[in-house]
Amino acid sequence: MSLTVALSKGKLLAGTEELFRRAGLPFPNGEGRRLVVPSGELRFLFVKDMDVPTYVEYGVADCGIAGRDVLLETGADVLEPLDLGFGRCRVVVASPAGRGFAPDGASSTRVASKYARLAAAHFHGRGLGVEVVKLAGSVEIAPGLGLADGIVDVVETGRTLAENGLEVIETVAESSARLIVNRASYHARRAEVQQLVETLREASAVRTGL
Amino acid sequence: MSGRERLVQVPPGVQCFVGDEARRRRSVEEKVVAVFEGWDYEEIIPPLFDYADVFAGEALASRTYSFVARDGSVLALRPDFTSLLAKIAAGRLRDRQAPLRLYYSGEVVRYEPVKAGRQNELYQMGLEHLGGDARAADAEVLAIAAECLERLGVEGFVLAVGHVGVFAGLVEAAGLAGERLATLRDRVESKDPAGVRQVLQGEGGVPQEVAVALERLTVLGGGREALDQAGSVFGFCPPARAALDELRAVTDALAAAGLARHVAVDLAEVRGLDYYTGLVFRVFAPDLGFEVGGGGRYDALLARFGRPLPAVGFMLGLDRVALLLERQGRLAVAPRSAEAVRGASLGEALARAVARRAEGVRVRFGNGEPR
Repeated sequence: MSLTVALSKGKLLAGTEELFRRAGLPFPNGEGRRLVVPSGELRFLFVKDMDVPTYVEYGVADCGIAGRDVLLETGADVLEPLDLGFGRCRVVVASPAGRGFAPDGASSTRVASKYARLAAAHFHGRGLGVEVVKLAGSVEIAPGLGLADGIVDVVETGRTLAENGLEVIETVAESSARLIVNRASYHARRAEVQQLVETLREASAVRTGL
Repeated sequence: MSGRERLVQVPPGVQCFVGDEARRRRSVEEKVVAVFEGWDYEEIIPPLFDYADVFAGEALASRTYSFVARDGSVLALRPDFTSLLAKIAAGRLRDRQAPLRLYYSGEVVRYEPVKAGRQNELYQMGLEHLGGDARAADAEVLAIAAECLERLGVEGFVLAVGHVGVFAGLVEAAGLAGERLATLRDRVESKDPAGVRQVLQGEGGVPQEVAVALERLTVLGGGREALDQAGSVFGFCPPARAALDELRAVTDALAAAGLARHVAVDLAEVRGLDYYTGLVFRVFAPDLGFEVGGGGRYDALLARFGRPLPAVGFMLGLDRVALLLERQGRLAVAPRSAEAVRGASLGEALARAVARRAEGVRVRFGNGEPR
């Protein structure tokens, strides 16, 4: 039986495909609409990026590739044996440039985010009673429209923030793509899992020069 | 939710088993209990609730269903068996000479996020070995765990064995504490070498050999040869070395008993660190993404109840075992039928049914039922 790998068709897909091809591993050809694709000795699942850790945690997939940002948000209990080095970004607090952002003020502060859990943990962990509004996307327009005073979101270059008149207040977490592994698969299918980890480790070391 | 809805809907976290579902669970329980009895463990049926203080451990206190008794004392439905067995061993069985071998099988309740085979009401089958030589007891408990899984017909199971003394020893050598320690532990638990490196970078310098060892902890594992590699990496740290020696003695014994193929070394096993004091293990199998059970050594618990005894325990979750066996196609119970008994009069029918019952036949009393 082959290993099942959960991937997202989101922003990590290109880096993942490049890595798998460089590692000489099979990777499904072409786009298509199929969500379960056997390819060589691996079987691939294509799911939403926030769902990758869940499929791996439940053991539906043995392994997966997910951003550290997504792992922090879902809180899934999975193993993270390899930092793949691509998909680097930061999860930041941002607010309208020049307006300042004072969540410790007397009036209530609202923050919009796709990362509701991470945002809440960030503020509540410091005793700040910030109200977190969960959004599914286009978070950066929320302050301009009056939905929130600030946002917690990922930035790569910072251009999207600037275009929406936002500036970074602080970094909540650094992120990059991780190979994740189900706890049971790690032991019960050790040989296959170790082989995949080693193959990807070598392939990602070539690029990152580690 | 309206009152009527509450009469229909099931609250999250509880389940109900009917007919063959219940029979399948009973058959699992019978097999496991037979193994416990076979190793001369004694059954304990502890109370369903006790004073909440009994379950005051950090991990459990926030998850207990507790309530106030009429006299004002705070009671809790049992969230685990181990605390109760410790209390009984130190109380009612205090004059009984150690080692004590005790087992249990029954429900516990916990506030818990509902997740594949983990409900708020859990059925646990487990045992505690109190007192006696640590290595012998650890090896015995692991052998019992392996026999349970063999008898149940679980294919490809793995006992992933670690020792909290390795991590604890390294952390002490590094002088780590507080939030940094919590983050480090989280990263070790996730077997994330890059994350461990990141935590150890920066201010509050950690000795180089300790930093290297902590990072290697996330990678070392597998067969018993991993213990030899670990010996060279952790050799500078006496508590870690002692922990490895214990692990080696126990895994060697298991190998001598022909169980090596079911044993994997996992030195990054640091989850129950506040509770466990020595060897720890978890049971995994292909086809189920979660552990089906686990256990470990907890030498500090019994002192809380006034009878300091070293202890090791092990537990299987019935729900998860049943789910695993179902996925491996090994949970079938034989179909059975009953003999319909009727008679011209009610008295005649009943007499016939009672007679057949005396012969041990499964009967279905047919009078009054349509033919």
